[in-house]
Amino acid sequence: MQSLDNQPSPRVEFFSGLGWITLGSAIVYGSWTMDRLENLNINPYTAPGLVPGVLGAVIALCGSIMAVRAARVGTSGSDRTAVTRAPIFNWRVALSIALCLGFALGLVGRGAPFWAAAAIFLFLHVFLFSEFGERRGQRRLWRGILVALAVSAGASFAITMIFQEFFLVRLP
Amino acid sequence: MEGLVALARSLVTFLHFWPIALTLGSTLVGIMIGCMPGLSATLGIALLTTLTIKMPPNDAILILISAYIGAIYGGSRTAILLNIPGTAANAAACLDGYALARQGQAGRAMGIATTGSVTGSLFGVVCLALFTPLLGEVALAFGAFEFFWLAVFGVMMSGQVTGEDALKGWIMGFVGLFVALVGQDGIHAHNRFTFDINDLAGGFSLIPMLVGAFGFAEVLTAMKDKMAPPALRAFDSVLPRFGDVLRYWKTVLRSGVIGVYVGILPGVGEDMAAWASYAAARRASKESEQFGKGSVEGLMAAETGDNASIPGAIIPALALAIPGSAPAAVLLAAMIIHGVRPGPLLMVEQPQFVYDVVAMCTLATLGMLFFGLFLIRPMLLVLRIPRTIIMPIIFVLCVVGSYAIAQRLFDVWTMIGFGVAGFFLRQLGYHMAPLVLGMVLGDILDKSLRRGLVLSDGSLEPFFTRPICLVLWLVIAASILWQIPPIKEAAGRAAGALARLTGVRDREARPRG
Repeated sequence: MQSLDNQPSPRVEFFSGLGWITLGSAIVYGSWTMDRLENLNINPYTAPGLVPGVLGAVIALCGSIMAVRAARVGTSGSDRTAVTRAPIFNWRVALSIALCLGFALGLVGRGAPFWAAAAIFLFLHVFLFSEFGERRGQRRLWRGILVALAVSAGASFAITMIFQEFFLVRLP
Repeated sequence: MEGLVALARSLVTFLHFWPIALTLGSTLVGIMIGCMPGLSATLGIALLTTLTIKMPPNDAILILISAYIGAIYGGSRTAILLNIPGTAANAAACLDGYALARQGQAGRAMGIATTGSVTGSLFGVVCLALFTPLLGEVALAFGAFEFFWLAVFGVMMSGQVTGEDALKGWIMGFVGLFVALVGQDGIHAHNRFTFDINDLAGGFSLIPMLVGAFGFAEVLTAMKDKMAPPALRAFDSVLPRFGDVLRYWKTVLRSGVIGVYVGILPGVGEDMAAWASYAAARRASKESEQFGKGSVEGLMAAETGDNASIPGAIIPALALAIPGSAPAAVLLAAMIIHGVRPGPLLMVEQPQFVYDVVAMCTLATLGMLFFGLFLIRPMLLVLRIPRTIIMPIIFVLCVVGSYAIAQRLFDVWTMIGFGVAGFFLRQLGYHMAPLVLGMVLGDILDKSLRRGLVLSDGSLEPFFTRPICLVLWLVIAASILWQIPPIKEAAGRAAGALARLTGVRDREARPRG
């Protein structure tokens, strides 16, 4: 359960509501313009766009309620803007996303053996976060490198062996 | 009698070295997943589904069920020792478990949690054996109209009880329903929202979506903030005291019933079962003032409730193909991958499988008891591994797991997309459980609504007048109305007035001494 302190501000809620309205409307539009397969003489109640259209409308309706609710809270002055909230995005998240995307989209399936790709990713992730995230200023660079090397070599070897050799799962 | 024979046959099948070894191994893995805050039972089962994809169905399902039961139990360790619930289901256990630990009774608290979990799980297993065939029989009478409302009911209930904002839960549920419709539709094989991308024709695969929403999103959430490995306090013996168990038998029974009931409700997970059991125990307790300050009864109620809800959540998954919780949704998907067809016809086509699941749950519960009593200390060593090491390894497993299902890189991209979206949605206060339930129920909702409309020739009347439909839509309507502030306040005032009126009458009726 999230605490109230972690709840987004009415402004963020308002724009989230607008986002859901946009998504819902786009789904309704896509469903409305979807082929109704009349040339196949299908029963009109089985048209492929029927259910997505209804869902799109419901999502847009919920988004509208959210936007109106947030606007009301915002204008009434009884909002929670006074509460200090942790930012939802920081350098740690950005670095982690960049490393993960680099591994999953840049290395995996591009010709490099999986164990090598996994080892590079693990080394960089463990090293960068333990050095700059946890031990900044403690001058334990070599220890960090050794730990990252050991983890990356051990984990990539173990994952490759367990999946590929023991459970016979093909790796990317 | 026929059921008992089938159950005995299943138990005999699993009482061999290999199934027992698999049970112990996977229960241990489950407990360790549960122990680590941030790793959920859903993620554990999703990753294990990919790992066990080439195994025989019964072995694979046994591993998943054991891990499921182990994970929900394992989360209570950190709840008691660190005041950090290992899984959402153990949040209620923090209240009294941690208070007991602070009083130097951490071992006793873990013993109580073990006892509660085992009795709750066994009670749930009995209900699983009794009610799945019954529900399956009732479900044979269900038509498209009933399944449509069941799907809507599941999403609405899950949305309402998960998190603090029902509206956000409902949005996630409806988005999940929509996501499930992307790809070829199930009636005319027409591409919907595929944007001419061939990989999308088959739709988004459930397991990569789950691995992304629960795995990658969790990795990012854990990496967001710096966290040092926790310092564990020393604890006394974890062997449960019989006095604790026997004294609160009513609480155990009540929590078991509540846990199973909440488990059966579509999409309402173990966390709600724990909170509902805890609240009921507090209301009924003679020592309610002790709750939150180290009440043995409170801890027992919470742990019995969450573990009883596991077999409870499997009941509708087997009988209706509608999961009772997010981990049960993954279990359902895994069963389908392994060629089992859960739903009303399961008791007709594969009746033995239901009893196999009962036997698997029983074995896993015994495995949980074994580890809970004898191997607590070594298992807690896993908590000493820094998150900066464990989380990237989890991500590598997410990548392998997503790819392993169909050997498609598209599934890895799906996992990434849902992971990043899931992370930001979580940060904005949206929960993933209704999304998962929507993803699972989308196909049922789609086909049921369209088939129902064809059967009724476009009339909506049967959707509202058939008896089960009537009950379901009335409950849904009431739950929506309940979220409208003026109605909620008016209902509160009415309830208060009624209570005052009843109180006055009681006082008047009481004989004067």
